[in-house]
Amino acid sequence: MTDAVLSCRNITKSFHRTLIPVRHLQERIIVGRRKKTQWSVNAVDDVSLRLAPGEWIGLSGPNGCGKTTLLRVLAGLLVPDLGSVERNATFSCFFELGVGFHEEHTAAENVRMHAMLWGVDFAAMRSMADAVRAFAGIGDHWNLPLKCYSTGMRHRLGFAVSTAVPGDVLLLDEIFAVGDAAFQVQCWERLFALKRLGHSAVMVSHRTGDLERICDRVFSMNGGKIVQEKTIAPITA
Amino acid sequence: MRSYIRVLISNYTVRQMARIVWTVGWSDFFLKYRGSVLGYLWSLLAPLAKFLVIYYVFRPFVSDAIPYYSLYLFLGIIVWEHFTVTTTHCMSVLHEKAAFVQKLPFPRILLIFIVGWTNLIIFLTHLIIFAVFVVVTGKGFPVQWVFVPLILFHMTILALGVGMILSAYCLKYRDIPHLWSIATQVLFWLTPITYAYRLEVPLLATIRRMPEMIRGPALHNLFDVFVQFQPLSLVMYDLRRITLYPKELGTPSLEHLLGMTVVFLAIFCIGAVIFKKRSRHFVQEY
Repeated sequence: MTDAVLSCRNITKSFHRTLIPVRHLQERIIVGRRKKTQWSVNAVDDVSLRLAPGEWIGLSGPNGCGKTTLLRVLAGLLVPDLGSVERNATFSCFFELGVGFHEEHTAAENVRMHAMLWGVDFAAMRSMADAVRAFAGIGDHWNLPLKCYSTGMRHRLGFAVSTAVPGDVLLLDEIFAVGDAAFQVQCWERLFALKRLGHSAVMVSHRTGDLERICDRVFSMNGGKIVQEKTIAPITA
Repeated sequence: MRSYIRVLISNYTVRQMARIVWTVGWSDFFLKYRGSVLGYLWSLLAPLAKFLVIYYVFRPFVSDAIPYYSLYLFLGIIVWEHFTVTTTHCMSVLHEKAAFVQKLPFPRILLIFIVGWTNLIIFLTHLIIFAVFVVVTGKGFPVQWVFVPLILFHMTILALGVGMILSAYCLKYRDIPHLWSIATQVLFWLTPITYAYRLEVPLLATIRRMPEMIRGPALHNLFDVFVQFQPLSLVMYDLRRITLYPKELGTPSLEHLLGMTVVFLAIFCIGAVIFKKRSRHFVQEY
């Protein structure tokens, strides 16, 4: 059996919140003692996954089913209560397009900053910036501060940057809802190209159809558990 | 093998991390005042206003006891401003760069180093102004100025160490920034910024005298001991004696500098360990 580039075993993650997180002293004096109300949820419950090299896995399910929490645990952003994650490759994860972008910076400056945060070598930065510029298609806006961009242009730039610095494994959260129809075709082509190049991915979306279009396996989640696994013959672009 | 090591250290090499700190630090410095009319001058106006008021009030009482009181006070104030701004910024950066913390799996301690670098840039500009004042007053630059970088290193790692301890808990306990703002007001008067301070005997000998000094139950005795030994007092003492009073107070000995380096590194390391341990939980504490 091929070594997994990413695997997790028996991941459990719960969140606990106090519904009145802070009782101000003055409130305590006026209102008197009131019992604290706790809220907790088992966001991910005993989930195990294994991602083979070159494989694309999809996680789908309704809002609050735990798919983004699981992705964050896989990325190392959240610490699981129980279970373990093993990573044997370089990672890129995208939980929001354009994270780290600054309104006052131009696209060129933002791309450079983003590349640096992802550990791109200095020598590769220029070619990366050229590739992003060509893909995003934002024309003369390239040298303008981000505050001059429309929402669609920001998304285009965000997607272009996000997929320009791929690690061996991509962790993608709701990456499909980007730009107009023409740009979405371009995005799909980019994702299929990454797959052909041998990158692996775990994708999260509530649009099962999109996941089934590119993923080799799609897991349905509900109540923090994987309730269904579907193996798909992937469509190539 | 090399790529495997990169995975173990969160995909970042030391060189890459240094580049991130350098670039983002400079970027934050330029963005901090962009759009304001006075720009960088805002970083200077706060310490300058404080300096003018305190100098006007205290000069009649202490200028005889403290030679070059204007320089003494200005240096004390810029060191103090650096310490308070850096420690407070270490807490606020977790909110300013919340998107980074919540969405990017990078070493969180880089945020602290970025804060340290940005504020060190600002401090260095203040130090240049101090150097200009030194020239204007005809004080000159003794050879002891070569120790300045070491003392700045002490000052920076002290501020970052304390800042890391505060920021490690400020998301969980929202009272900490408020408590710290009160603590700094108290600490301002328990730091020899406006009044005279000197170690009559070498520091190690003074430390040996500490039990004798706190034998008296009076509160002012405890305050005296605190003022004498708190790290910020020692940083200011060292910086003032090498820049302003090298003839009167002498050059810091090797033992003294080594001891100070060990103490400040220990504070920094304690802060770094606590911050690293707590930073794993930041995402769910927002």
